[in-house]
Amino acid sequence: MQPNGEGPVRLEFDRGTLLLRGLAGEAVRALASADVWTWDGRVGAWRCDAIHYAGVGETLAATLGSAWRDEVPKALPVRWPKVALPPLRPEQVEALAAWRNAGRRGQVIMPTGTGKTEVALAAMAETATATLVVAPIRDLLYQWHRRILKVLGYDAGIVGDSLHNLQPVTVTTYDSAYIHMGEIGARFGLIVFDEEHHLPGPCRREAALMCTAPMRLGLTATPERSDGRHADLGHLVGPVVYQMPLSQARGRTLADYEVFRVPVALTEAEQDTYEACSREVRRFVAARRRERPGYSWKDLCAESGADPAARKAQKAYYLKASIEDRAAEKLRVLEDLFRLHAGQRTIVFAGSNVMAMEVSRRFLAPTILSHTRKRERLAVLEGFASGRFPVLVANRVLDEGVDVPEAKVAVVIGGQSSTRQAKQRLGRILRRTGNVRAVLYEVVCEATKEVERSRARRRSDAYEPTRHRRV
Amino acid sequence: MLTSQHVIVEYRDGRAWPDRLERKRHAHYTGYAERMLAIYRTGIGRERRALHRDVEMLFAEEPDCPVRRIRAFSKLLDEASTYQADPKGEASRLRLRVFEAAAPRHPLVRQKDRLFEHTESEVKAAIAADLGRQWDEIDARLYADVMAFQRLESFQGYPSAVALLSRYNVAQLQACLYAAERITVRATRDLKTILRYAKLARLLHEVRRTGPSEYVMDFSGPASVLRETRRYGVAFARFLPALLACRGWRLTAVLRTPWRTRAVLNLSDRDRYTSALPPPEEFDSTVEEGFARKFGPERDGWRLSRESEVLVDRQTAFVPDFVFRHEDGTAVLFEIVGFWTPEYLAKKREVLRRFRGRNILLAVPERSLREGAQADKNVVVYRTAIKLEPVLEALETVRLRQGRRG
Repeated sequence: MQPNGEGPVRLEFDRGTLLLRGLAGEAVRALASADVWTWDGRVGAWRCDAIHYAGVGETLAATLGSAWRDEVPKALPVRWPKVALPPLRPEQVEALAAWRNAGRRGQVIMPTGTGKTEVALAAMAETATATLVVAPIRDLLYQWHRRILKVLGYDAGIVGDSLHNLQPVTVTTYDSAYIHMGEIGARFGLIVFDEEHHLPGPCRREAALMCTAPMRLGLTATPERSDGRHADLGHLVGPVVYQMPLSQARGRTLADYEVFRVPVALTEAEQDTYEACSREVRRFVAARRRERPGYSWKDLCAESGADPAARKAQKAYYLKASIEDRAAEKLRVLEDLFRLHAGQRTIVFAGSNVMAMEVSRRFLAPTILSHTRKRERLAVLEGFASGRFPVLVANRVLDEGVDVPEAKVAVVIGGQSSTRQAKQRLGRILRRTGNVRAVLYEVVCEATKEVERSRARRRSDAYEPTRHRRV
Repeated sequence: MLTSQHVIVEYRDGRAWPDRLERKRHAHYTGYAERMLAIYRTGIGRERRALHRDVEMLFAEEPDCPVRRIRAFSKLLDEASTYQADPKGEASRLRLRVFEAAAPRHPLVRQKDRLFEHTESEVKAAIAADLGRQWDEIDARLYADVMAFQRLESFQGYPSAVALLSRYNVAQLQACLYAAERITVRATRDLKTILRYAKLARLLHEVRRTGPSEYVMDFSGPASVLRETRRYGVAFARFLPALLACRGWRLTAVLRTPWRTRAVLNLSDRDRYTSALPPPEEFDSTVEEGFARKFGPERDGWRLSRESEVLVDRQTAFVPDFVFRHEDGTAVLFEIVGFWTPEYLAKKREVLRRFRGRNILLAVPERSLREGAQADKNVVVYRTAIKLEPVLEALETVRLRQGRRG
């Protein structure tokens, strides 16, 4: 089928893409935006990703004047019931101005705890357009909802966490955005990507491609991704317009902090099981390597389906990890740390839901887990903020950006950690409040994999210097 | 449906082989399936994680069983189960109450000393006394709402062990399609059902005729023309059970492997997967069925075939109920309009208008005609059943007209 010039020229939104009808091939090739268009014979129209909306509109207007119809739904203007922004610090003002000057399209890179959220709220306040905020996890979803309500007086819609309440201003998660953007992609003038390093994954990126919003703001402390895809953020969000290094933030906006590593020993029974498991895995792998020198963990997993011995080795490996995660001694160390910091708000990061619940049941301290519902989550966070709860136990869901007010002591008792996670965890306790020094404890099992991970972590600049402490 | 955490696919020589339990090679799985169903049937009141553990234990010595297969079984069994969900948030309320009572006594220590005088056991005993319950009971209910601790309330189950295994095979096939970028169906029968379900799954089609009644249908989504995307994989998976219930088809799916290479999944009705859906009805209505029986396979030089031609205009596809083919090559499409709503009739008119260049004969019930309306030449009006004479007359009229033209 050949492209034709039948009918009026129309631009439509179609499930995350734009359709251009009524323009013949030569006419499209003459447009300044010619290279974005692909002929789609299935529907008899030109198609492109919704992200091109602003550019496409300009080129059509430049070429055709008013002889075309824009049938893409328009972002509604928003009137904020109130604007009660806290006074911005100089670096926040600078970041906002840089974004504005870049045509309101770009990335702001600031360390955790330096007020990225306020920059975004200020951007929302001044653009006053329908806005979609995309956050990585549901804790952050609710946090954004609270902040928007508090600062802009607006009860934002929520899409995600099994809710689907769409409003001109809506907060959502990356996973929900990927699923629903085909339907909701043409409603927003501004889209905010919180912790934007989550965006460039092979699927999630489509959330950015399928949205028409011309104004885009990406926020992160750590844009780098090990797969190198952060380079794509330039296309998906916009250029880096402001960057503030962590070392600059330290001691200035952030509190000074210390890191202590607390080694714990396994109990005799744990040690025996741990070693038996290690032996089993080693023996199995060694036997395999005699025949296949390059035999790896991946091969073992592949074989586990057809070979009970491989499956046993796999189970032994997981049991080892679970012993490390849930070593009984960690609970004793925790008791000592609670004694040491009695009267100071303390947050405990566990490596798994099971361990978090174990700590909670031992010390009768509230938890924030991935399944914790909104009402309880609010009650716990509010209770912790007001000092009613001295301790909060979390699994990894609190790793990024979730506001935990004024915690001065953090204890990490497990969990795989990349550099980024470590930085995020530090950010949690480093908020500037008075002169009290923040402390981070890492409780690690001696002579196990956890110690190696801790060493690797200390190589990143955020953790220098580390001291050891025997409790 | 399974998630990508359950999927087992082997990629070999550029082809994808989803995990499938076979009647012969996995004959002993019928026994496993029966025991799994028994675990759930007798497991009312037990925790989810205990049921999962028991299912896992069944396979402890089974040489041929990947962990993912075990987890997939648990998922499929859970899908046919109802667990106590704690909708009133009792566990959550209990937690807040207990933690609030304990907070002023933090930290709960094992050994008292001069600074810290609240021991774990004393505080727990005191809270239990306040609530008028045993501490063990409180401890067991504290996190009763967590998925793993939820208790089985009822089990709808599967009709038989074989039904569970069939469901498993189809579920793995569907999960394999999550990684599909596009699919192609080559079909000779049940064309209407295939196109209708693809449309219900919101897929776009491209249809080509490759034989007298053979069609190739490519299915994909809006963005597929811009880039390779797995975005529509779930839609393909949703469409699949309807296809499995059809006859006379072959499917080719292009998949993206975890190593970012491509692989092809080939499938046909001869693979004998069992769909949970019944096969498409032979006829949409008794009027159709009655007419087909009366007419027979051939009459007066006209051969009758059912739903064997697809008319396509971009995203509008129309499969007339019958096609008459005369020995001299004349073909007439025959669509029977049933007793339907005005909206249905309006939509049908619009579709027919698009294909007005073709020989289409309509059978319209008398009461669907507007009062005093004069039926067109290509319309046969019927009361309760379609008579043969007016149809044959109309067919001849078309043939003669065609003959004059040709």
